[in-house]
Amino acid sequence: MRKITYAEAIREALIEEMRRDPSVILYGEDVANFGGIFRVSAGLKDMFGDERVFDSPISENALVGGGVGAALTGLRPVVELQFADFLFTAGDEVVLKAGMWRYGHGGAYAIPLVVRCPSGATGVGPEHGQCPEAFFMHAPGLKIVSPSNPADAKGLLKSAIRDNNPVLYFEHKLLYATRGEVPEGEDVLVPLGKAAIAREGDDLTLVAISAMVPKALKAAKRLAAEGHSVEVIDPRSLVPFDRETIIESVKKTGKIVVAEESYKTLGVGAEIGAMLMEQALEYLDRPLRRVAIPDVPIPTAAVLEAFVLPNEEKIYQACRELLA
Amino acid sequence: MDKKLKLEIYRKMLLSRRLEERIAELIKAGQAGGFMHPGVGQEALQVAAIAALRPDDYLLYAHRGVAYWVARGIPIEKILCDLAGKEGGTNHGKGGVMRVVYPQLGVLGESGTLGGCFPIAAGAGLSIRVKGEDKVVLCFFGDGTSNRGTFHEALNLCAVRKLPVVFLCENNGWAVSTPTEKSTAVKDIAMRAAGYNVPGKTVDGNDPEAVYDAVKEAVDRARQGNGPSLLEGKTYRLWGHWVGDPEDYRSREEVEKHWRSDPLPRFEEKLAGEKILTEKIKAEFEAEAMATIDRAVEFSRSQPHPKPESALDDVFA
Repeated sequence: MRKITYAEAIREALIEEMRRDPSVILYGEDVANFGGIFRVSAGLKDMFGDERVFDSPISENALVGGGVGAALTGLRPVVELQFADFLFTAGDEVVLKAGMWRYGHGGAYAIPLVVRCPSGATGVGPEHGQCPEAFFMHAPGLKIVSPSNPADAKGLLKSAIRDNNPVLYFEHKLLYATRGEVPEGEDVLVPLGKAAIAREGDDLTLVAISAMVPKALKAAKRLAAEGHSVEVIDPRSLVPFDRETIIESVKKTGKIVVAEESYKTLGVGAEIGAMLMEQALEYLDRPLRRVAIPDVPIPTAAVLEAFVLPNEEKIYQACRELLA
Repeated sequence: MDKKLKLEIYRKMLLSRRLEERIAELIKAGQAGGFMHPGVGQEALQVAAIAALRPDDYLLYAHRGVAYWVARGIPIEKILCDLAGKEGGTNHGKGGVMRVVYPQLGVLGESGTLGGCFPIAAGAGLSIRVKGEDKVVLCFFGDGTSNRGTFHEALNLCAVRKLPVVFLCENNGWAVSTPTEKSTAVKDIAMRAAGYNVPGKTVDGNDPEAVYDAVKEAVDRARQGNGPSLLEGKTYRLWGHWVGDPEDYRSREEVEKHWRSDPLPRFEEKLAGEKILTEKIKAEFEAEAMATIDRAVEFSRSQPHPKPESALDDVFA
């Protein structure tokens, strides 16, 4: 199968969906002339014209709120925020408008909106490097996806665009250049709410999100060389969340580690832990371990950033501790 | 404005006034089942502006009063059911009377946070442009709300993209208990239009003809693809911010002064002077308003509460 990058996969999904459906539009800061600050949407303005692909002012509230208004009135807007961190800038429009407009108006409208959120720490400090999915998992009415490879990046974005609900689509900046096999075909979708088993195993369940997945796979390979069989689960969607795949795995392994590039307190790992307490406590042989950022902002200097970020070694060590 | 339209605007202003008076009675008697911000005194602005729209245009109303919905033609009984949080309204108890919604007449709903309307309006304008339609968005807001950052972002975006949105400020002099001059750097909200290079115009918001003419001009301009406008009607909130507001932040004299320019009797006298409104028509409108409201109150009383478990519905489509 052909191999393309994660960024190319996103671009291909945008092109296919825009060709398929004239109600799909794309806008955000620098997305048209420059093709996006990470060049993901390069060339789309020439393909689809300035009405459907355009540069917006630096106005995150108007971008996301405008997306809600456009979605209420029959478009399927894809809004790019330059950095996932800017979700907080647009907080009202994300949480209260995108997430609650439909509910507050008794289901009168659907809101088919996608907000693309480039996430992940890349030496750019506290306000440009977060993976803030967990903040928005707490907010009702928002779907959340975080693909870890090119095939999922494409298939999940296509599903998100076709979904009739607001979807926050987290694209990790350090994954843009990663290559992988991506099936061709306009209707090859990855469903929202279905986890992937990235590697099968029997001794320990390792849940990893977004850019933590390749790191988790490397850690699992090291552990395999030491005789430990680790199952790596990539949830792909955080809302809706595929609880069954994790619970089924834990029933088999009795041990779980969650690796995420977010703050430890009330992160995705905390929710998984609570879910297991409620639904699978009897299957756990060992306490859950979370590999996450200690509760500090992400520092800028490389040595400081590396100290707080989860990595392959930290994941490996957490697994070793449970497997001992 | 022709005679028929004048009478229609008067009829809807009257119906709105009587409906709010009834709602206030119900609230005071503990029978309304809900809560609202009265718009008494601002009906001319609301009704006349909406009269300048086509049925397929979009409307984002503000939080003050019932006249927007009455003007747009949403059945009164639905408004009362939403007030009471009952079935039979427009949002099944999910949003109360501050989130009346009516897609068939382009009524998109209301933002719970003030100023949330501006980006939504811009987005609806974007839809119209992308789909090549000739619809228009009318977005109401108060003078206090013009201080939200979303106002700036949406006005600028609409101006840059020439989106067909008419922003209409109801300047009633007060943001809850804070007078406009204590919160707002400009005397006229419409002066802010200069910052976005769009037309800005201030009119007497208690004069339905002045409001209609200004809104019609801005709506026509937007419909022809010439972009947004910022309009302002000067008016006054004759009642408190809510039913039961002690109103100890403003003087009785100030309020009494403004009652003398109450738009309802003022328009009534004008139409009587023009021989358009006769005593007979006036009596008919009064009787019809009362009968409509009585029926609507009965209807809302007869409606069931939503099923408790329906609280879990409508999160996702």
